[in-house]
Amino acid sequence: MEVIINKEDSVTTVRLVGRLDTPASQDVAQHFEPLMSDAAGTIVLDCSEMSYISSSGLRIFLSLRKAAASQGGKVIVKSISDDIRQVFMMTGFLNLFEIQ
Amino acid sequence: MEISDNLKTLARKSAGTGLLLIVVAAVTLEATSLIQYFSSQRMLKQEASLRAESELRSTRNQIMDIVDQAEAAVHNSIWITRWCLDYPDSLAVVARRIVEENPSVMGSTIALVPGYNKKLPLFAPYVCRTADGTTELKSLATEEYNYPAQEWFTEPLNYGFGYWSEPYIDEGGGEVLMTTYSVPVMDDAGRVAAVLTADVSLDWLTDLVGNVRVYPDAFSVLVSREGKIMVSPVEELNMHQSIQEFATGAKDTANFNVLADGMLSGKAGNVSLKQSRRERLFVFYAPVEKTGWSMAIAIPDSEIYGEIRRMSMLVTILMLVGLGMLILILRSAAKNQLKVSQLKEKKDRMENELRIGHNIQMSMIPKIFPPFPERKDIDMAATIVPAKEVGGDLYDFYIRDEKLFFCIGDVSGKGVPASLVMAVTRSLFRTVSAHEKSPQRIVTLINESMSDMNENEMFVTFFCGVLDMTTGHLRYCNAGHNPPMVFTDKIEFLPAIPNLPLGILPGMSFQEQEMDLSYDNALFLYTDGVTEAENLTHEQFGEARMQDVLRMRRSSQENLEAMQKAVADFVGAADPSDDLTMLFIHYLNDMQPDETERHLILHNDIQQIPQLAEFIETIADEIKLDQGLAMSLNLALEEAVTNVILYAYPEGSDGLVDVEAIMSKDKLKFIISDSGKEFDPTAAPEADITLGVEDRPIGGLGIYLVRKIMDSVSYERTDGKNILSMTKKL
Repeated sequence: MEVIINKEDSVTTVRLVGRLDTPASQDVAQHFEPLMSDAAGTIVLDCSEMSYISSSGLRIFLSLRKAAASQGGKVIVKSISDDIRQVFMMTGFLNLFEIQ
Repeated sequence: MEISDNLKTLARKSAGTGLLLIVVAAVTLEATSLIQYFSSQRMLKQEASLRAESELRSTRNQIMDIVDQAEAAVHNSIWITRWCLDYPDSLAVVARRIVEENPSVMGSTIALVPGYNKKLPLFAPYVCRTADGTTELKSLATEEYNYPAQEWFTEPLNYGFGYWSEPYIDEGGGEVLMTTYSVPVMDDAGRVAAVLTADVSLDWLTDLVGNVRVYPDAFSVLVSREGKIMVSPVEELNMHQSIQEFATGAKDTANFNVLADGMLSGKAGNVSLKQSRRERLFVFYAPVEKTGWSMAIAIPDSEIYGEIRRMSMLVTILMLVGLGMLILILRSAAKNQLKVSQLKEKKDRMENELRIGHNIQMSMIPKIFPPFPERKDIDMAATIVPAKEVGGDLYDFYIRDEKLFFCIGDVSGKGVPASLVMAVTRSLFRTVSAHEKSPQRIVTLINESMSDMNENEMFVTFFCGVLDMTTGHLRYCNAGHNPPMVFTDKIEFLPAIPNLPLGILPGMSFQEQEMDLSYDNALFLYTDGVTEAENLTHEQFGEARMQDVLRMRRSSQENLEAMQKAVADFVGAADPSDDLTMLFIHYLNDMQPDETERHLILHNDIQQIPQLAEFIETIADEIKLDQGLAMSLNLALEEAVTNVILYAYPEGSDGLVDVEAIMSKDKLKFIISDSGKEFDPTAAPEADITLGVEDRPIGGLGIYLVRKIMDSVSYERTDGKNILSMTKKL
């Protein structure tokens, strides 16, 4: 999976490209570490090119969301596919994130 | 309230019935007694009348004897009198002869008709008996007597034949009652010449008539042609009063006049004279011929009916006593009936409550057949026909994670305790089997619970099975129950180790057995209510008959009905002694021929996960799944496999994960197995997805997603392997 992080002022946009399965989550988690320690701003997770997410991916999303919450920042999940929206719904994640 | 009202109504009803009964009994008794009374009275009156008539006849005969004697004495002397007419002096001799030769004749005269003998204008020599037995001759031809004017002289001449005079008191001859018989005597030329008489004493009449006593208080009366009372018990009346005179002063004059007229007209008959309000006098009368007399016998009705009246009094008293006793008996019977009905009501209520309790238990077990109408792979039928008393039979079944859990059981004994134990057993089965898939574990756990609390020494024979619907693999465990029958290519008893019934031995280890069922195989579970059903001659239905019924291949429902009918026909009119419980399971999973399998073997390396995506893609292509469903299945499979890769094997060691996909037209099943340490992911607590960001745990979503996506998920540990099966209906 490809992770492209683009920071402009206080808004950090993270483009996730490909499948966020369990092995991919391990990589993505490393990419997310700097974001977690500096989550006071707005983080936009651009999922327009993410085709799949497993529970380990959801964990990373949740960890980031928790970090942002503790630092006063916010996480926006953007452009999720219908299939992934289904997964978000099943897990109650629709209520935890701001979805755009 | 309602009950006590019912009781009151009942009491009223039975009291009413009692009263009615008493009235009917009283009326019947009274009617019987009345009929008897009246018919007896009629018979008694008839008898009295017969007795009176026969007495009248015999008395009359005796009178007639004497009368005839007197008449004969007179008649026999007519010829000699006629012969002596020309020699008047000899007439006295004739008269004497009559007296001397006839003891009843007290005196006799031959009185010449005045003018017949020119020399003797009046001539009447009279011979009479004296007190000393000799005879005395007198002459009646005196101025002052003037015999031609006397009745005894004139009447026979008027009539021209023999005449009995009115009785009279003979003042000259000792004040005795007399009557005179007189006949006219003609001379050879046919002229009336004299009147020949015989005075007959009627003393004997008083004795004769006075002694006629058909009943102690009955009496007889003799009256003359003109109604003079000749003989009666009342001395003063005799020869002093006529019956007509007496009738005027008597009670019930009207009827008395009828009597007087009847007697005076010389007829026979009877009259009833009212004496007082309660007393009547029955009078039977008959004429005494020739003399013109009439004799009557009077009988007070108390004489006739006295006995029957005393009897009827006694009968009435007895009847009253009987009725009283009847009332007492009925009252106590009514009381008893009330008691009995109260007891019965209590018993009914209890039985009703038991039945309700039992029905509640029965309602918990599946009773609607077919139980799984949407499933084509199973055909089931079951029934419990309860015996009179609530019993302790049970069966139960349900499907969880594509496994059919089923059981049948028979609690020892009957009634409430059995039915309670049945409820407990059934509820234990549900509770325990919710977490256990092994029949052996289910049976063991139920046994532990039941042995612990079993203070009443109740036990349950129990058979438990778990049928894997997808594979037809059957695992079962028996606890002392009749072995079920299994229908494969033949029909036989399922080999079942008996073990011990539930509730006997805590810590008992039960043995589990298994077999594989294929398409169209079936099981028949039953309680001994089937095999031990008895007919009127106490013969048992038995296993042979049971097997006979099952010879034919039929649906479960048809089998059930056939068996019920066979048992019912066999039992006939006998009371069913035990619950009749049957459970048919017909396995009809024919997926095997259509199945396709795909296999994927992974190492316990997380980097192998992407292979799952390819695996799913192949399958999705093959069975034409849409992309969304494919992604969901991928997710579920990944979560399950990740679990194994991460946790089953010790870190750093190499292990395999076997992923098997079984595809059929209506479902897709994944079986994930590994040889790692025992781990049941389905035992994990359910994730709470409603929690907020702060409270939400990071993990725990994997198995949650698996459950969400798949229709059934089950785990088992077999042969050192963790086997997780997941099915998705298509």
